[in-house]
Amino acid sequence: MLKQLAEKDLLRLLERIATRRRLLTPQRQSDGSRLLLPWPGGLPELVGTPLQRKPTEIFFPQLELLMELDNSGDVRLPVPADKPVALLGLDHFDLAAIAFLDRFFLSRPTDDAYLRRRHDALLVGLSGLAGPQGATLPPAETCDLELILVPDKLLARPHAKLGEELLAGFTAADPTALRAIDRSPAERPATLLAAARLLQEDQVPEAFWEEIAARCIACGGCNFACPTCNCFGVQDRTFGNRTERSRLWDSCQLDAFMREAGGHNPLGTETLRTRRRVYHKLVADPLRWGELGCVACGRCDRACPTGIGMLALCEDLVRR
Amino acid sequence: MKTTLTTCPWCGTGCNFYLFTDERGQLSGVEPAAGHPVSRGQLCLKGWNAHAFVAHPERLTVPLYRRQGELVPCDWNSALDLLHERLSAIAERHGPDSLMFLASAKASNEENFLLMKLARAGFGTNNIDHCARLCHSSTVFGLAETLGSGAMTNSLDCFEQTDLVLVIGSNTTEQHPLIGSRILQAKQRGADLIVIDSRTIRLARHADLHLRPRNGTDVALLCGIMRQILADGLEDRDFIAARCENFAAFETSLRDCTPERVAAITGEPEEQLVAAARRFARAEKAMIVFAMGITQHSHGVDNVRALSNLALLTGNLGRPGTGINPLRGQNNVQGACDMGALPDVYSGYQKVSDPAVRKKFAAAWGVDLPEQPGLMATHAMEAAAEGRIRGMLIMGENPLLSEANQGLIRQALQKLEFLAVIDIFPTETAQLADLVLPAACYAERDGSYTSTERRVQRGRKAIEPPGEARADWQILRALLGRCGLQADDTGPEQTMMEISTLTPSYAGISYPRLEGAGLQWPCPEAEHPGTPILHVENCSRGKARFSPVTYRPSAEVPDTDYPFLLNTGRTGVHWHTGSMTRRSHLLDREEREPYVEIHPQDAARHQLKERQPLQISSRRGSIEALARITDRVPAGQLFIPFHFVEGAANALTNNALDPESGIPEFKVCAVRLQPC
Repeated sequence: MLKQLAEKDLLRLLERIATRRRLLTPQRQSDGSRLLLPWPGGLPELVGTPLQRKPTEIFFPQLELLMELDNSGDVRLPVPADKPVALLGLDHFDLAAIAFLDRFFLSRPTDDAYLRRRHDALLVGLSGLAGPQGATLPPAETCDLELILVPDKLLARPHAKLGEELLAGFTAADPTALRAIDRSPAERPATLLAAARLLQEDQVPEAFWEEIAARCIACGGCNFACPTCNCFGVQDRTFGNRTERSRLWDSCQLDAFMREAGGHNPLGTETLRTRRRVYHKLVADPLRWGELGCVACGRCDRACPTGIGMLALCEDLVRR
Repeated sequence: MKTTLTTCPWCGTGCNFYLFTDERGQLSGVEPAAGHPVSRGQLCLKGWNAHAFVAHPERLTVPLYRRQGELVPCDWNSALDLLHERLSAIAERHGPDSLMFLASAKASNEENFLLMKLARAGFGTNNIDHCARLCHSSTVFGLAETLGSGAMTNSLDCFEQTDLVLVIGSNTTEQHPLIGSRILQAKQRGADLIVIDSRTIRLARHADLHLRPRNGTDVALLCGIMRQILADGLEDRDFIAARCENFAAFETSLRDCTPERVAAITGEPEEQLVAAARRFARAEKAMIVFAMGITQHSHGVDNVRALSNLALLTGNLGRPGTGINPLRGQNNVQGACDMGALPDVYSGYQKVSDPAVRKKFAAAWGVDLPEQPGLMATHAMEAAAEGRIRGMLIMGENPLLSEANQGLIRQALQKLEFLAVIDIFPTETAQLADLVLPAACYAERDGSYTSTERRVQRGRKAIEPPGEARADWQILRALLGRCGLQADDTGPEQTMMEISTLTPSYAGISYPRLEGAGLQWPCPEAEHPGTPILHVENCSRGKARFSPVTYRPSAEVPDTDYPFLLNTGRTGVHWHTGSMTRRSHLLDREEREPYVEIHPQDAARHQLKERQPLQISSRRGSIEALARITDRVPAGQLFIPFHFVEGAANALTNNALDPESGIPEFKVCAVRLQPC
């Protein structure tokens, strides 16, 4: 049932969530970025630019301890946090990315490190007039409950039992309040779909990739910023008698990503690597998951110093 | 979980990012600052991995001193007492100028200021220098002479307004990636790009013109270009008349630099030279961008003078989208220079030889100060090898890998009576030390850093240092106290107040004002907004000075015994001597072994295969590296990065020094190769 939350109600909701969970809310930083950080009390910064750090980082951190081993052969796994996490303020793109990673990491065999952080996590979506300069965000429904900003009101709608429980007792809202905003479901940009089609039909000439790759400075930002990228490397570090095994975000744009010990490299040129980045998301992922691997959040475009992020690249490709 | 906004520790671009700290109090990642005017939500690969080395198991965590040949732990008080006693004893016996202090372009402004104060006021010597000697000392000297200030004249934003970028001796997309990306973006929006570099760097692939002069012939090439500009009448007569001096002598000096003669020296066809001259001179707004390819020569200062002459000749100074833009390599190499970690100047380039300046600092610090300028780092190493420098304190530098002619540097460091090193890892230099003090890294201490565009910005502490490691400023304050100087445990913010009191170009800078995007110096007053572009109305020295130069060949060129020209530098994934990047998983994995770039023709002539181990030898040493066959280098040239201790390029390089700046000739020496 649709609810209406006055400011004091929203605070009550946050307190209710925070009793059982480590609540993370969007907070504006000194440079204007919004980041998901432990709720400090008070009202969260719901409106503004997309969350700078991809929220999937909460479940799949850039650097994560997997286990500790000591010389006697004992293995210790990280202790799960005492409370599950709650993420508040996730837009449609963020939720689509979490759904994508859930499917990847929680398909059998389940990734226990991901599960340890993801288990029992509460997702609070955000839609309505919460975009930059009040732009409308599309419905964000693959979550436990959704906050919907309409003119002068904050609405809340449960999408799971947990959401219903958390919203119990708040004032019901008139469903027509939703008519004040555009509630069309999110669609992937036409250029992305058109580019995917061209790629799937193998209609993109080598010269295109060479030209794009010549502009790539191999910063890895497209991978590090992408909320559906899930490649990781593993490192062991020994401190005296104890060894820490960790995993860390990897990047397919690096020469050593696929380089073999003898020096042979199936992705040995920047052209091959650039093509792979896009093929993986727009051709391989649909074959494997039935869905594009790009949720069109725009993070790689914002992170790319030379303007060859996914959406810019697809526009260029389709235009030609 | 928390985040800390700070300044990137790698190159001099000045990007800002958030450090993420996990539930264990350790760094778990990096996110670029979206609203920062330099990073704008973007970073390079090293930036994205700036957290990775911090918790490495080889971090130094306790003070170590040498007992019976071994480095063994000791407590901080004993370590600091030992350091003070040994340096004091040497100074007493042999005079203060038998000591040398090396500051660090990785340390903060405050820490460089404190070390400068320790050397001068604490131990009575001007023998202080740092790695700027190895990178942009030619720039500081050359531009100070022609313009009055040795810093980048313009700002990074200028790339958005320029009509033409001339990149000479800078592999910008690898060494200053976020600046390189701005050049690529400028090209995308229609600006012209001229690249002058013997190697086919990434920018060269996008360039309208790529000139590939032989390494070491830039003076001839630039003089040829300038002569052509004059021959075509494309010089900016109004600018020259209104803003410059010594033009007539300069014009005369170019007389012999005919295209034919220049082509013979540089190996670059005449048409290329003429085309570059015309394209450059016709641009309404042109930026000159340069780095080590210009400065690291035995005629590095002359190279810089030539570039300065080119900008003046075409009026590309003091306006948006123009300027002479040296790209500073380290995140605080500009700041370390600004803070007077140089043998001839106090902070703000106030000359040691000026009695009024000395009087000001002496009054502030309550001690008499030495009058003679000190030794440059490169000369100090020669002096140490000869036994004239006997005690040395090195803060966050690794000269055994970074200075030219490793054999000489090893001899110098081993001959010292006492060597103390402050560092975060047991570097190759630290392993030769009598005392090693464990330092906090950038993520573990507060401070300020000055980027290549003179932007002074905050670095902020995110986590605690490991074990007993301490911030450099804490170590230096304790040493100042032992020297009888003010040593209260006040932090960097108070030191910045002292800096601003004594340094006119930093007079308006204070920590509260550095919140946000920082301030670009000169910032002479508390209300001053900072200075994005230098030399707008007048140059710092008044009139800009044309400084005539004459081509001099490099000190050691290929011959029949050593037929290849060796060029050295860096890769995009490693930082200098690799002490941090080789301890960062992704960066280490990307380049794990020393390699040598060799042209396919040369490889064919020597019947070499990709990744074949080669022995490369010069008159000074010999190393092994794996062949990398590529046309990035021209035929006849080899390129080796200097990161790798197991194949140290600087075992080969020539310590022939520029007579004015004291910089070694890292970019040219003669070598031969043979399969291992």
